[in-house]
Amino acid sequence: MSAIGPLSQAGHGADARPAAAPGASIPRRLSPTAVRSGGRLALLAAQVRCELVSTARVPEFLIGVVAIPVMLFVMFGVPNARWELPDGTRFSTMMMPGFGAFGLLSLVIFAFGVDIAAERGRGWLRLMRATPAPYWAYFGGKFVTSLVLASVTLVVLFTVGALVAQVQLPAGRWSSLFVVLLLGGMSLAPLGFALGFLARPRAASTIGNLVFLPLSFASGFFIPLRELPQFLRDLAPYLPTYHYAQLAWRAAASAETVEVYTGLAPGPVWVHVLWLAATFALFAAVAVWAYRRQRSREQA
Amino acid sequence: MVIEMRGVTKRYGDVLALAGIDLEVEQGEVVAVLGPNGAGKTTAIAVMLGLTRPSSGMVRCFGGDPARAEARSRIGVMLQESGVPGSLKVVEIVGLFQRYYPHTLPLEEILQRADLVEKRGQLVNTLSGGERQRLYFALAIAGDPDLVFLDEPTVALDVSTRRAFWKQVLGFAALGKTVLFSTHYLHEVEAVAGRVVVVDRGRVIAAGTPGAIKRLVAEATVRFTADIALERLSAMSEVQWAAREEGFVVVASNEPEALLRRLFAEGIALRDLRVSDTDLEAAFVHLTGGAGDGAVPAAAQASAERMRA
Repeated sequence: MSAIGPLSQAGHGADARPAAAPGASIPRRLSPTAVRSGGRLALLAAQVRCELVSTARVPEFLIGVVAIPVMLFVMFGVPNARWELPDGTRFSTMMMPGFGAFGLLSLVIFAFGVDIAAERGRGWLRLMRATPAPYWAYFGGKFVTSLVLASVTLVVLFTVGALVAQVQLPAGRWSSLFVVLLLGGMSLAPLGFALGFLARPRAASTIGNLVFLPLSFASGFFIPLRELPQFLRDLAPYLPTYHYAQLAWRAAASAETVEVYTGLAPGPVWVHVLWLAATFALFAAVAVWAYRRQRSREQA
Repeated sequence: MVIEMRGVTKRYGDVLALAGIDLEVEQGEVVAVLGPNGAGKTTAIAVMLGLTRPSSGMVRCFGGDPARAEARSRIGVMLQESGVPGSLKVVEIVGLFQRYYPHTLPLEEILQRADLVEKRGQLVNTLSGGERQRLYFALAIAGDPDLVFLDEPTVALDVSTRRAFWKQVLGFAALGKTVLFSTHYLHEVEAVAGRVVVVDRGRVIAAGTPGAIKRLVAEATVRFTADIALERLSAMSEVQWAAREEGFVVVASNEPEALLRRLFAEGIALRDLRVSDTDLEAAFVHLTGGAGDGAVPAAAQASAERMRA
């Protein structure tokens, strides 16, 4: 230390230093009023509540993730409600799963990707990192929150489908379609996490749109694949979102009906499930890598 | 020791942000890290927190790596630029931070200590600058920490808000807590800190009590044009040092009123008179003789000599 003479380390000279071994523990100095905090579950619950409450207070966000897929379904699905496939299945019945998949894909891209990038950019994640809060609390909070938002999206979409777009399904198919869309959507969540840590905060929204709009189109979410150009039909089976949509259509109708609608025969269910599982694993690895890279960059 | 730093350096590309910092902080101390903008204060705090890894040297908090959860659960922090989600209420975000720590203070006590009781139901993005700083302070004390880091906590606050803020900080320190804060306001240091570490260009250039630092870096700068020899000014007890800059006489003083009274009494005609808070940057250039190599220049040595006398 190039300090100035007598001021240097006033009262802290080498001889004044206690001879305690380095690392000697200093007892915790709790205030008289201090109390033990809740456990992990209470932490996760508080995180989820904050996420939900702050989401609910930003109507633009809710409209973006919930209303837009429903709106698009109304615009495209309702005019097609009068058409039927040869076996009597309504066209709108097959369109609804596509728009549901679109809604949940946009949710994971925006609720995870764009949101995380923004919170990273504002310095919020850095402050959180300075606390002892485990990182899973943050991700867990986001995950549970999007489960809730996804369920809301699907309930609204299904209600509109049944009441306005003449979607008719047996009770069992309604519930399996709900579960398939929800789980399939969550299997794409790591895609959002990865985006959140890879993209620059200002670019995240653009990149998000660039990822999820082409994916939605090329997987036949909006327009049946048989009406798309041949090269897109050839490409689709290599997109995880295509397998997501196939599972959703299969939940709503028989394999034959799905083939008539999409123009592509669905594979065995396990193949589609395997695709989604592999996608989850791959992007989870990418997301963890991107998170660590981000953290070590901040530490560097 | 609560904080221990030995030979800590931090290099960002070609820039040496920390050029070898040694620092020891004992339990219960209130320590100010004083320095101009860009001196390395924020980097030093980030290193003490374990948010940034030093390029070389050693950092310990509570005898171990500050990034460990054990250390983190005893540390509270106010960083610059922490964008709290704007659509949360004060009480919600404080409640969340209470959950982040293994121990916590009662919510009411946190709100009182941060003077946020009346703002509890307000959304974060409707808070004023001062209220927002109080919120960050509330978050910093939510875990009843033994050690609190405050990185330039009052930088955007007006004088009265600043005074109230420090009252809250001292109230918390009175519980036996250790506080380390950075600032570039000299007068702020005097009222709050028990010890001051002066940092410039990534080095500790002086350390001591606020009074000792004030004698070294005077609180006010008096600037004028007059026909007077620098030697005569330097000999006055009210003057820390005097210099000539661009035709002006520049005098550093802790008693500017007394100095001016004396100058008028001695019949010296002053023109273009201006009294201002000392600009630390300018003071340090003077102190270190503008040399970037950390050599202790004549001016500083002279001041130190005078202090001993």
